[in-house]
Amino acid sequence: MTTTTTERRAAVRETAPLLSVRDLTVTFQRHGEEPFRAVDGVSFDVRPGETVGLVGESGCGKSVTSLAIMRLLPKRGNKVTGTVNFEGTDLLSLSDAKMRDRRGRDIAMVFQDPLSSLNPVVPLGVQVAEVLERHRGMSRKAAMPVAAELLKRVGIPDPVRRLRDYPHQLSGGMRQRALIAIAVACAPRLLIADEPTTALDVTIQAQILALLKELVEDTGTALIMITHDLGVVAGLCDEVNVLYGGRIVERGDRHPLFRDPRHPYTNGLLASIPRLDAAGERLTPIPGSVADNLPWDHACAFAPRCSQPIEICTQVTPQLEVADGRALRCHNPVTSGWSGPSAGQTEGDVAR
Amino acid sequence: MSDSPKPTNPNPTNPIARYREARKERIDSLAQLSARDRVAVGAGAGGPGSDWTPSPDEVSVTESGTIEEKPGVSLWRSAWLRLRRNPVFLLGLTITIIFVLVAIFAPWIAPKDPVTGYLIDQVRRQTNPVPGPQPGFPLGGDHLGRDLLSRLIVGSRQTLIVGVLATFGGFIGGLILGTLAGALGGWVDSLVMRLVDVMLSIPSLVLALSIGAVASRPSQWTLIIAIAVVQVPIFARLLRGSLLAQRSSDHVLAAQALGIKRGPIIFRHMLPNAMGPVIVQATLALAVAIIDAAALSFIGLGDPDQRTPEWGAMLGQAQTYIYDHPHLAYYPAICIIVVALGFTLMGESLREALDPKTRR
Amino acid sequence: MSVTEESKATEATPDDDILLNVEGVKVHFPIKRGVIFDKTIGYVYAVDGVDLQIRRGETYGLVGESGCGKSTLGRAILNLEPPTDGHVIFDGVDIASLKGEDLRRKRQDLQMVFQDPLSSLDPRQSVESILVEGMKAHGIAKDAKEARPRLRELLAAVGLPPQALSKYPHEFSGGQRQRIGIARALSVNPKLIVADEPVSALDVSVQAQVINLLGDLQEEFGLTYIIIAHDLAVVRHISDRIGVMYLGSLVEEAAAADLYTTPLHPYTKALLSAVPIPDPDIEDEREQILLTGDLPSPSNPPSGCRFHTRCPWRQETRCDDERPALRVVEIDGFPSGHRVACHFAEQIHRGEIEPHKVEPIAVDPSSFEVPEDHGTMMAEPPGVNTASGGDPARGL
Repeated sequence: MTTTTTERRAAVRETAPLLSVRDLTVTFQRHGEEPFRAVDGVSFDVRPGETVGLVGESGCGKSVTSLAIMRLLPKRGNKVTGTVNFEGTDLLSLSDAKMRDRRGRDIAMVFQDPLSSLNPVVPLGVQVAEVLERHRGMSRKAAMPVAAELLKRVGIPDPVRRLRDYPHQLSGGMRQRALIAIAVACAPRLLIADEPTTALDVTIQAQILALLKELVEDTGTALIMITHDLGVVAGLCDEVNVLYGGRIVERGDRHPLFRDPRHPYTNGLLASIPRLDAAGERLTPIPGSVADNLPWDHACAFAPRCSQPIEICTQVTPQLEVADGRALRCHNPVTSGWSGPSAGQTEGDVAR
Repeated sequence: MSDSPKPTNPNPTNPIARYREARKERIDSLAQLSARDRVAVGAGAGGPGSDWTPSPDEVSVTESGTIEEKPGVSLWRSAWLRLRRNPVFLLGLTITIIFVLVAIFAPWIAPKDPVTGYLIDQVRRQTNPVPGPQPGFPLGGDHLGRDLLSRLIVGSRQTLIVGVLATFGGFIGGLILGTLAGALGGWVDSLVMRLVDVMLSIPSLVLALSIGAVASRPSQWTLIIAIAVVQVPIFARLLRGSLLAQRSSDHVLAAQALGIKRGPIIFRHMLPNAMGPVIVQATLALAVAIIDAAALSFIGLGDPDQRTPEWGAMLGQAQTYIYDHPHLAYYPAICIIVVALGFTLMGESLREALDPKTRR
Repeated sequence: MSVTEESKATEATPDDDILLNVEGVKVHFPIKRGVIFDKTIGYVYAVDGVDLQIRRGETYGLVGESGCGKSTLGRAILNLEPPTDGHVIFDGVDIASLKGEDLRRKRQDLQMVFQDPLSSLDPRQSVESILVEGMKAHGIAKDAKEARPRLRELLAAVGLPPQALSKYPHEFSGGQRQRIGIARALSVNPKLIVADEPVSALDVSVQAQVINLLGDLQEEFGLTYIIIAHDLAVVRHISDRIGVMYLGSLVEEAAAADLYTTPLHPYTKALLSAVPIPDPDIEDEREQILLTGDLPSPSNPPSGCRFHTRCPWRQETRCDDERPALRVVEIDGFPSGHRVACHFAEQIHRGEIEPHKVEPIAVDPSSFEVPEDHGTMMAEPPGVNTASGGDPARGL
């Protein structure tokens, strides 16, 4: 399995990216407050059919990244720079009207809270049909059977009857399914799922993850999975980006990344999670909280919480170094079998 | 499926023994680790004498993270720190302070006696009912020849007294009823709330009007009482809602779980946290009270003594001359609007600053 | 194996030293409706008959999904939510029957740690007054000055520096706030702490700090814990014994390791198989039991076994109409502490009953209603009791 996966992954890496995010930076500028860089020079690629994970804790910028890609951040108080190249078009420079055309058709999004993402006063069927009307030019009459088919596709039982139901008449899991149905209605080439299972119970989470996996396999949709749960990532993502303090600190395919975490943050996260399959040894927590971060400008933000900081960590900003499909931003990586980024080149546009 | 044989499950042959071993190890490691934590805490407290230093010690944090040395900032204080930079609040505050100062020092600021008809000689009922501006009388006089500017300045006193006392009365009444309902609940709550509902169902000005009309002899006090009574149900309802939200909040449950007595829970935990919206409402109510007072005086339910200047009454008297001499109405009207606006701006920005959602 | 279990149990927690005995506790919330006079039109059966014993010094984990009644049970044990029926006997005193001042005094022995550390701390009180308050209420200290040395001890115990005393809750990070919440619980020298989702509101990297802290404090102060959580990995990590709840009742109870290695109840099996593990190799090869559909409404629980509507092992007989009791299984080598509420646990364990596909059942969702005050208890409004398509026992 490992060999086939590796080969498959190597092949995937050769294909041209569907979405190419370069140096994406989002700065919050609120009145009377210091500007805050929520996302700081994030670059990554998503290839067709690939599932890419953005992992990190609250405040690491993972959700802001997805909203910036979708152009869903409010214009006021936010400055977005960099490029988001989707099949040769820079989404960030599109007009609002052009972007609206793409949203839901080419790129769709599934949010964390399915209840607030659905319109509470519009029946489910209409909400699904509206997307089809908007992007495929269908009539309401023609769209309804397609909507029922979509609800059935995402595992909502008795779909024809459910078309007339309102969101509050569905359970959390069913609502998330409905939201996924809306997202995949126009067969988008890219699906962004922002913590799609965080509000759900674990057995329902398993259902939704299975559904997402199935959709990706059947339709070839690329998926960006945003989550804080390393367990979810381990089972779902081809490539994993670990974010900390608004920057990518480590990237790798899931097998090598989990087997051989190189960044002390990734390593620390894995060591600090109680595992269902391990007995109760004492956990090794990461000390402090994100409030203890240093600014990236002249240091590694993670240095104060790091288990193995060296002097340079508080003086020089580490760069994201890329090699063998892995990337790492660390002065003093966790030592292991990996050959290291010795032959790697620095991603120039990330340097600051 | 896999050619890299890796055990999917940890060896399940003897989980109990493994578990026991693990637990023992855990307990053994506790002593060392907790000792280390203690020292780290000591170091975090600024003890330079501590001998345990993480490597390199400048960059590491204690396990719980750093805590600034500065003394704590309470919620009210942090709200004030935000308000201080809010131009809307500052504008409202400036208006309010000027108004209050003017009201307090009115007799000394006013250039003339507001009661004496200095210009009565110029008043001609047919040709010149209202004397115009002239040296010494920048805004001119009223229909009795009294100095308009002085009357406006001294009139702020009545407005302030009526507004503040009425709002204060309403606030206290609402506080008592709202606390009874919100803190005790049960049938007390039902009783108080039905009473409040009845009061709220009558339009406020009509209610104030009827209270004012019932009084045998209208005076400033009937005005204050009438407006206060109108405010009571609004405050009561607001406070009750706010208290109910507090009653089911986690920190009140926590206090209950801690075994805190009922009195302290209500007065130390629930009330202070419920007061935010009520205080905001009070500033807004002040604006409404001023306008209501003006309205009631305008109708003639205020102080019957025509000599004491009052903005609403002045407005009422101005209606006779509204076509030829509209300035007689403009000046008191502008005063009322500006002062009401001052309180409203202050209240709205206070609401924003106290709202936990906008915090941080 | 049973010998090992026995010795383990005696070593850590003697079986006979029962600190807390929960007997037949029920918490039913009336659903009221009416224009002028409220009429009770039904009940939400949040906790529907739970028996459990907590031994002195042990950590008991309660797991289950939202709506299973685990939090309500925790509050019922503390009499924060008076039980509708049943007894909660703590050290020989029935807490469920206590009222007024007696109850208030007894609260010193039973403390609670809350899920959301920010909302459970009074935002207008400094840490000092938060911590002193309980001590004053129980006569441990008369005023803040007298309490000073103890306050420093408490803060040190939870890993906070003394300058935290003058600060306010909003000035701390999530993990630090939870430490304050724990210090508050400790301030009155409790014997039992009920922790309701103590880490689920915290960041992943901070969770481990609090989990370790809870363990340390248990050793230091000889505490007994009831840990309520939806995260099985967390519960398995800190608990000695675990009870699994489903729709208001316990479906399985066992030592933590036993429950993980040999879950007997179909629901426990499904729950365990649904937890993602941060290891791609394990994830790739895991057999998942995907449950169909959602939790039925606690206001209209299914007859018989509460789980029969979603159970892949459901049988024609007994499951639909006979409610299984929590019992010791009759399988050789199983410890007596392993109890399960399933009619066919033995047959399922021996592989005599094969899992099958669960047919979707549609239930009219509009027939349920949630009482306002208990919205938190049921995160999801009672919805469809229908099942998803797909194979229930499909491996991924």
